[in-house]
Amino acid sequence: MAGNAASGGLTLRGLVKRYGAVEAVAGIDLEIKRGEFLTLLGPSGSGKTTLLMMIAGFQEATAGEILLDGHSITQTPAEKRNFGMVFQGYALFPHLTVRDNVAYSLSVRRRPKPEIAARVAEMLELVQLQGMADRLPAQLSGGQQQRVALARALAFAPPVLLLDEPLGALDRKLRVEVQEQLKDLHRRVGTTFVYVTHDQEEALSMSDRVVIMRDGRIEQVGTPEELYTKPRTEFAASFLGKSNFLHRDGRRFSIRPERIDLLAKGKGRTKGTVLALSYFGPLLKYQIQTPDHGVLEVDVDAWRGGPALAPGAEVGLDWKDDAAVPLEQ
Amino acid sequence: MSRIQSLNPAWLLVAPLLALVAVMFAGPLLNILWLSFTDPEPGIANYVALVEKTSLQKLLWTTLRVCLITTVLSVALGYSIAYAMANVAEASRQRMMLFILISFWISVLVRTFSWIMLLGRNGLLNNGLIEAGLISQPIPFVRNELGVLIGMVHYMIPYAVLPILAAMQGIDGRVLQASRNLGASPAQTFWRVYLPLTKPGIIAGALLVFILSLGFYITPAIMGGGKVLMVAEYISVQILVTLKWGTAAMLAVLMLASVLGLLYVLSRFMKLSAALGGGRT
Amino acid sequence: MQDKQFMRETVTEAAHAFRAGRLDRRSFLALCGMAGVAIPSVLAGKAEAAAGEIVMWNWGGQSEECHGSAIGVPFTAETGIPLKFDTSGPLQGKIKEMVDSGNVTADVCDADLFDAVALGATGHLEPIDYAVVSKDKTLPGYALEFGTSIILYGYAFMYDTQAYPDGAPANWADFFDLEKFPGQRSLYKWANGSLEAALMADGVAKDALYPLDLDRALAKITAIKDSTIYWGSGSEAHDMIVNGEVSMGMVWQNRGRNIEQETNGRYKMVMDGAIAMPGAYIVPKGNPGGREAVMKFIAVSQSVDAQLGLFSCLGMTPTNAEAIAMISAEDAPYAITSEANMAVIALNDPTWWGQNTDAAVNAFLEAIS
Repeated sequence: MAGNAASGGLTLRGLVKRYGAVEAVAGIDLEIKRGEFLTLLGPSGSGKTTLLMMIAGFQEATAGEILLDGHSITQTPAEKRNFGMVFQGYALFPHLTVRDNVAYSLSVRRRPKPEIAARVAEMLELVQLQGMADRLPAQLSGGQQQRVALARALAFAPPVLLLDEPLGALDRKLRVEVQEQLKDLHRRVGTTFVYVTHDQEEALSMSDRVVIMRDGRIEQVGTPEELYTKPRTEFAASFLGKSNFLHRDGRRFSIRPERIDLLAKGKGRTKGTVLALSYFGPLLKYQIQTPDHGVLEVDVDAWRGGPALAPGAEVGLDWKDDAAVPLEQ
Repeated sequence: MSRIQSLNPAWLLVAPLLALVAVMFAGPLLNILWLSFTDPEPGIANYVALVEKTSLQKLLWTTLRVCLITTVLSVALGYSIAYAMANVAEASRQRMMLFILISFWISVLVRTFSWIMLLGRNGLLNNGLIEAGLISQPIPFVRNELGVLIGMVHYMIPYAVLPILAAMQGIDGRVLQASRNLGASPAQTFWRVYLPLTKPGIIAGALLVFILSLGFYITPAIMGGGKVLMVAEYISVQILVTLKWGTAAMLAVLMLASVLGLLYVLSRFMKLSAALGGGRT
Repeated sequence: MQDKQFMRETVTEAAHAFRAGRLDRRSFLALCGMAGVAIPSVLAGKAEAAAGEIVMWNWGGQSEECHGSAIGVPFTAETGIPLKFDTSGPLQGKIKEMVDSGNVTADVCDADLFDAVALGATGHLEPIDYAVVSKDKTLPGYALEFGTSIILYGYAFMYDTQAYPDGAPANWADFFDLEKFPGQRSLYKWANGSLEAALMADGVAKDALYPLDLDRALAKITAIKDSTIYWGSGSEAHDMIVNGEVSMGMVWQNRGRNIEQETNGRYKMVMDGAIAMPGAYIVPKGNPGGREAVMKFIAVSQSVDAQLGLFSCLGMTPTNAEAIAMISAEDAPYAITSEANMAVIALNDPTWWGQNTDAAVNAFLEAIS
């Protein structure tokens, strides 16, 4: 309803951003589908924010091309790209009321007053801030400010919404709540979302697809499930969730802690000794010393796995063949 | 917050200092106020003169006019200098700041005479223009109101630059990006976001410049060629030469009251602490 | 602050010891250096004014040196009383404030005779003791109850010889005639001299100036206002001329000779209609050095040697007829009281100015601003 569903497919071709000798973005090729929720995930310095700023038009590409629905926008200045953006820390206009913040994109486009008023009301309803129109940003909570930023960015029905760590300033409990709201909002407006975060949980819970970035390059692209179950590299496996790494026949494999079963001593593929354990609510996390694979991390359902094993206990370990995912060299 | 909490014990520590300040400042101020109502004879005659004497009205109008023009020009020029400083690399900014500070340190008298050497009838600029054949008669840049404005604006620009620069440096660059991202042209971003966000700096700078200008003495006296009489010089003449202390005291009270009044009016429109460098609103 | 005060007191003590011969010069200077105290500030500091010495309040610069050598040296030789200086400039308002506050720190002020009239009338001055000071060693009419004129200075004008090659301006009428002598002018900002000049330009005879017709003078002054700039200090008047800002400018007559020499004669002074100003020594009421000592000081300054000393050092002209007679033929044109000059100059009336300064200055300021 609020989005611009007829548009919003982005193509990045060979994008490079160099600062002197440093390559912040080192050649990115990516197809972002119309209406998709795509997350750029990576540690700091991986180039994800620079890439987002290039899409927004705040950073000029050293090389490469950006296409919107097949047309190059590489040379289009930021103010002409019509992409919405939610900034880190929100960057609300501190001197304007919530209403004027949300109306800003329409008022600089000189839309008629009644249209602006109607659109602002619609946007505030969308983010459930109807009663707050006359407040200044400083009079709002962090979560409310975040919603104003969303409403402001979506008010002019942009084909693409860029979000730069929009939940970074919120406390953990609120973050989970807002993730739900964001997902819901995405479903309702149908706009393409390009979302930058370093938080793997956010990436997994909200995205249609996740791009894992490392040193300015794409490490792996896929749906959250693909990335979790079929990491292609050690970096992807360890950045998204926990992983144990095994060597067999000269190859490396990744195996998630919850895919390893603990058996009685003498059973299974291999044996081990409990080094330590810790409780994580529903999970018991064991550190197990094995003769062949070093220390392995093993997660067991706390309520299903029987009584906890004390450090020093000897166990057998086993896993299904498809649990060990071969990694690229 | 309860009453007791609001009485911070720190106040007790500064109390002796406050008392000293009260005595050192309030004493002479009250003396001036007293003088304005008693010299040469008790009554309000000194104040009535404000209404009756056109010479005093002319004096105040000249002072007000020169101070206002100085303020507008200083803030406008200071704004563009501050803008340049806010948008260059750190090393250049420090160099520019050094120049600003150096001009702070040059005495008024030295600047004033330098301007006369530079802009006088027989000064460098006029001679250059005449030799270049651009003009036949020297242009009267100094020894008139224009000269006073040149001298005062030059002196005041640093006072305008510093608070404005502080306001500009306090702006979150992302807010400006947000404006562009929302489709605003650079001009729209300036008028709708940048300028309003630097307003506290502009107001602080303007206040500072205006209040300092009111007390200007040497520059108007010399650059004005004697023809631009402002309140500070007039007060000095009344005290030292004509011995009309009551008139001088009345004008001093008037100046003080105007400055306080100005601060009060501004405080109704904005948080003064923000303008004077305190917390940001 | 405490330390500084202590050091200052130490050095002041040392200064006494030095003067009394108990401390040698080298040690005294070393002590001053250690304390970081400027030597004149202890030797001539205001706080020191007390019985046993005379503090002269003058205008600093050269005058301190000249008063010291011309009057201080013979005065100290004769009386044993040292002469010290406060160089902050004894304007009427400052003298009044000093006496009103009860903290009188000066014994004799290098002021104008009209100050003696104004401040004498309000009770701020000691009367001159004409048993010690001689009424005959000054010009007639310039030995008043509260002050006596020691020297004269004056207001004359100078013109740029290159601006007027076809005939030089000769008097104030020419000065005020912009048609015949186009160009910029300068006048004194605080009315004195400027008003008299305007009246003479308008045809008033030099000995019929007082009481000044303010309206008539101001009409003449405003008529050339657009071509006139106004100065407040001698150095400003000097700069306006040598920087070529004006083609005719009023100056303090005693500075005219320097300007003629400095510009190799390009600028020339006109003495016709110059207004002679009686400078006077006046004594603030309750002066700390005592009445007797200060009257003696004034008497010494009337002596021929002192007066000629001031003339050669400051260019201020003697008032003592005996000293006037001894001025050389070469110097005579620059001495405002020389015989030739006396015939063409106007003499300032200190009584009129003492009674009308406020009205005259404020009317003048209003007219020019």
